[in-house]
Amino acid sequence: MELFEMTAASLSEKLRKKECSAVEITRSALTQIEKKEEQIGSFVTVCEERALKKAEEVDKKIAAGEQLSPLAGIPVGVKDNICTEGTLTTCSSKMLYNFVPPYNATVVDKLENADAVIIGKCNMDEFAMGSSCETSYFKKTKNPWNPDYVPGGSSGGSASCVSAGEAVLALGSDTGGSIRLPASYCGVVGLKPTYGSVSRYGLVAFASSLDQIGPLGRSVEDVANLYAVICGRDPMDATSAVREYGAFGSQISRSVKGLRIGIPKEYFGDGVDPEIKSAVMNSIDMLVKEGAETVSVSLPSTDYALSAYYIISSAEASSNLARFDGVKYGYRAEGYANLTDMYEKTRSEGFGDEVKRRIMLGTFVLSSGFYDAYYKRAKQMQQKIAQEYAEAFSQCDLILTPTSPSTAFQIGERTDDPLKMYAADICTVTVNIAGLPAISVPCGTASNGLPIGLQMIGPKFSEQLLFNAAGCFENLCGGFGVAPAMRG
Amino acid sequence: MQIDIQHIAKLSRLSIENEKVEKFQKEMENIVAMCEKLPPMDGDYTAVDPSKPMRLRRDDVRPSLKREQLLQNAPQTQAGCVVVPKVVE
Repeated sequence: MELFEMTAASLSEKLRKKECSAVEITRSALTQIEKKEEQIGSFVTVCEERALKKAEEVDKKIAAGEQLSPLAGIPVGVKDNICTEGTLTTCSSKMLYNFVPPYNATVVDKLENADAVIIGKCNMDEFAMGSSCETSYFKKTKNPWNPDYVPGGSSGGSASCVSAGEAVLALGSDTGGSIRLPASYCGVVGLKPTYGSVSRYGLVAFASSLDQIGPLGRSVEDVANLYAVICGRDPMDATSAVREYGAFGSQISRSVKGLRIGIPKEYFGDGVDPEIKSAVMNSIDMLVKEGAETVSVSLPSTDYALSAYYIISSAEASSNLARFDGVKYGYRAEGYANLTDMYEKTRSEGFGDEVKRRIMLGTFVLSSGFYDAYYKRAKQMQQKIAQEYAEAFSQCDLILTPTSPSTAFQIGERTDDPLKMYAADICTVTVNIAGLPAISVPCGTASNGLPIGLQMIGPKFSEQLLFNAAGCFENLCGGFGVAPAMRG
Repeated sequence: MQIDIQHIAKLSRLSIENEKVEKFQKEMENIVAMCEKLPPMDGDYTAVDPSKPMRLRRDDVRPSLKREQLLQNAPQTQAGCVVVPKVVE
C-alpha cells in the first residue's frame, strides 16, 4: 500500500516510528494529484509549495523529538469557501476569482497549529449552492469511482480528493447535506457536526444559521481526530457554543451494545431506491447482531423539510451575498453608468445561474406581502422539525437513515431541473434545520458499482456516540479506503 | 403563482438577459410551488433558543488587520480608500 492510500492514524504511527518522513507523505499525495487531478479535478488550487514547506517543518519537529499532534504531517484538502491567508479562496465563483484572504479561518489556524499539511483548496458548487459540484465556475469535479458521475455537492472536491487519495483528510461545509451527500457518493466518511461546535469565522457565509464546517476522511478515527482539532468555542463566532470537548478519536468504543437505534419510516418511503433501502436495512441488522436494538420512530414533518430548507437558506443567502458588489473585493464589471449599474453588472456577470436563483428566491420570500406565507411558516416548521427530533430521541439514542435516496447521478443528468437536483438532499436537510450532528459512512455498493451511504443522526453534541456506532460499523465492514480505480 | 422575475431581479440587484427570462421565470415558479407546500401553523417562532443564549465577546479595543491588508482585494483604491462611481453631484 502506498503512503497516499493510508489513513492518518497509520501515517502518524509511521512518522513516530520514523518509517517515513512528512515530506515523503506529502510527495506521495502530490504525485497522486499529478496522476489523477486531470481526470478528477478535486482542486481549484493545489498548494504544493505551502504543503512541502509545512511538511519540512514537521520533519524538523520529529528530528527534534517534539510531541506530535495526530494530524502532524497529514495532507488535508480545504474547501474553497474557507479562508486561507495568502492562498486564493474563490468559493468556485467568478465573483471571487481573485480573492486572496488577508486572514485565516479559525479552523485553518487550528489545522496549522496541529501541523496538518494543507495540500489544496477543494472545488465546490458555487458558494456551496448545489448537490453535484457542477455549478462551480472553474470545473466539474468527477466521481473517483466512475468519472461519468458527479461526486455530489456541494463539498464535491473535498470528498473526491479523499476518495482519490489526493489527500488523506478534508474539510467541507454542510448547510443542507453538503458534506454527507458527497461523502456518500464518493464512498468516504463525512461528519456534519452539531451547529455551534465548530467556528464559522472565516467560512464564506451561505446560510449562517445552518452552515457548519466538518471533516471528511477514509476512516472514522481520522474523522474523529480532525473533528477534535477543529471543534471548540471561538469568541470570533457569536453562534459558537460555550462548552468543553473531549478527545474523540482516542475514545472510540466501537461498541453498540444496548444502543437503541431509531428507524424513521419517513426515510424509507417510495422515493428511496430499493437497493439503498436494503443496504441500509442490512447495515442495521449487522448492528443488531452486535447488541443494538431497533425502535420505530416517526418524523412526520419530513415531507415539508425541503420547502422549509430552501426558504430559510435562500433568505439568508440573499442577505449574506449582498456583500458581493464589486466594491471591497472580488470581481468588478467594466463599463457602467453609475453605482447601481456597477452593482447590477458586477453581480449579474459574477454570479452563476444557481446562485442567482437562490438570491431571487430569498428576496422573494422576504419581500413585503410574502414574508408571513413563506419565511415565517418555514421558521415555524423548523421549530416543529426540531421538536419531532427531540421526541424521537426520547425513545432512541441514534437515528439511522440512508444519506441519499439514490447513488451518484450522471454528470449533466439533473442540471436542467433544479427541483430534481434539490431532491438529492431530502434525507440530509432536516439535520441542519434542527442543528443536529450526523455522520455518513459507506455501507456497500449498488449494482451500478457506486457507493451507498448510511447516515447516523444523534442529539446535539453526541458526536462521540456517532463515532462509537460508526466505528463499530466500520469494523464490521472491514474498513473503507481509496476508490478502486484510484489505488496505487 | 405568477412571479415577476424582472422585479425580483431588480430588488436583488441582478439583471436577467432577455433570452433567459422565460427559463428563470418557469424555474422560480416551480420552486415557489414547492415552497407553498408548507401548511399554515399556529404560534410564533423564537430566533434564538432562550435556554442557550449567545455569549458575545467584549467589545475591547485590540489589534486588527492593517488598512493595506483590508484593501488588498479591492478592485480600485486611492489614498487608502475604495473607489466607486460618483454618487453625489
